[in-house]
Amino acid sequence: MTTFLDYLLGGLGSGAIIALMALSLVLIWRSTRVVNFAQVGQAMFTTFIALSIQTWTGSWFIALVGALAAGAILGVFIQYLVLRPVKRNDTSGAIIATFGVLIALQAAAGMIWPGGSQAFPQPFNNAGIEFAGRVWPISVYDFVVIGVTALLVLGLTLLFTRTSLGLSMRAAAFNPEVAKLSGVRVSRVLTFGWALAGSVGAVAGVLVAPVSTISPNSFDILLVYAFTVAVIGGLDSLIGAISIGVFTGLVISLVSGYSDSGNAPIVALLLLALNLILKPEGIFSHHKARSV
Amino acid sequence: MLTITDLSVNYGAVQALSNVSITVPTGEVTAVIGANGAGKSTLMRTLSGLVKPGSGGATVGGVTITGRKPEDIVRLGVSLVPEGRSTIPELTVEENLRLGGLWRDKAARNATQGQVFDLFPVLAERRGMRADTLSGGERQQLAIGRALMSDPRVLLLDEPSLGLAPLIVTQILELVSRLATESNLAVLLVEQNAVTALRVATTGVVLNLGKVVMVGSGSEIASDEQLRHAYLGY
Repeated sequence: MTTFLDYLLGGLGSGAIIALMALSLVLIWRSTRVVNFAQVGQAMFTTFIALSIQTWTGSWFIALVGALAAGAILGVFIQYLVLRPVKRNDTSGAIIATFGVLIALQAAAGMIWPGGSQAFPQPFNNAGIEFAGRVWPISVYDFVVIGVTALLVLGLTLLFTRTSLGLSMRAAAFNPEVAKLSGVRVSRVLTFGWALAGSVGAVAGVLVAPVSTISPNSFDILLVYAFTVAVIGGLDSLIGAISIGVFTGLVISLVSGYSDSGNAPIVALLLLALNLILKPEGIFSHHKARSV
Repeated sequence: MLTITDLSVNYGAVQALSNVSITVPTGEVTAVIGANGAGKSTLMRTLSGLVKPGSGGATVGGVTITGRKPEDIVRLGVSLVPEGRSTIPELTVEENLRLGGLWRDKAARNATQGQVFDLFPVLAERRGMRADTLSGGERQQLAIGRALMSDPRVLLLDEPSLGLAPLIVTQILELVSRLATESNLAVLLVEQNAVTALRVATTGVVLNLGKVVMVGSGSEIASDEQLRHAYLGY
């Protein structure tokens, strides 16, 4: 039983990161019906930028803020340069274009930051906390990750439920025509959505880097998990992304603990398949059905 | 006052509207009636900016509105209640209303919201509920309320009777005509249900295959048997 609880605790931090990455996919999907496969590429790119900032300034906090800003700018850039020129209503064209962006970002990162995998400095102690006479499988850094995620989720919730911009974003996602007739500048709102998703993904990247390494392809597995989580959550649900994200973190930790960490992606894909068979519209979706 | 002059709209090779000229005076309801495919909805979508005009245009108080974006046209005082489900079901009643005047400053918006609640008390009762919990008639009231939140000078109503019980249609249209007089609103009402529309309209315009075939007072059109047979099918 103790081992079981230990594995659960150990999965919280990675669950929070998966949740954030899934959240950035959901933010784009809700407003544009496009799955942005470039999201992990954007996060990887901004994490390299954060690493450079960290090396210059020595401050993790400045690096995190820098990644937030870079993520927003990169998101807007991609929307303007790649997504806008793709014909409207051509959703599959747009999705394929995001794959192109992913490959381009990975190639560019390989040229700008050569030398393969690099270590991202540990900003906080990542060793298990000693408390009540034993070492727990959760570190100070895990608490930082969970705290930053919680703050971000709280901020997004307030944005969506309490502000005019948030109401515009929801209206533009649910019914762009009525939003336009109401005076909402829908294309600006969409651009803001890309900036926001870019920032959220960038935070996920900076948070995961110290516990893995950073290379042009190092976040690929995160895409698998985040995509799985977003689909199971219903693709348009923020609550779905967060709760299923944390849940998946726990499942991965249990699978890795009891068997082998190499089995975790297979279990994630099994979960995805099971979900598509039993509840294809996702658990938290606003929509009744989705064809797959 | 809304003035439409020689408005033509094409969908590819199909001419949906040709040289349509209509004057919609302030304080009155003007009804555009005609069969399916007469171009009624195209007229409304062009006036609200969802469709680009081919030639001709429309002005409100001397300012050209056609050819602009919907977001800008609503700021010039023209508000459309589109056909069918024009509320957002996932949002609450109050959020749907707020949406209608989001670009205005908060004090003005709150004042208008108070007026809308006076006009439709049921919306005040249901303000915190999701729009999809409302009945058809309540949802139409919400749709009109959302359009009024921009404090328009011109209100465009596209088929408000669609899918509603006759008694509710009469109530809503009478309220709209009262609103036109009391708030000095120019109302352009598009209806397939000619009898109901002509009862509240000062002026009726008959549209057939994209052309204006007759303009007259509501009672004139209602009593013209030949016209009714030819264009309205009753």
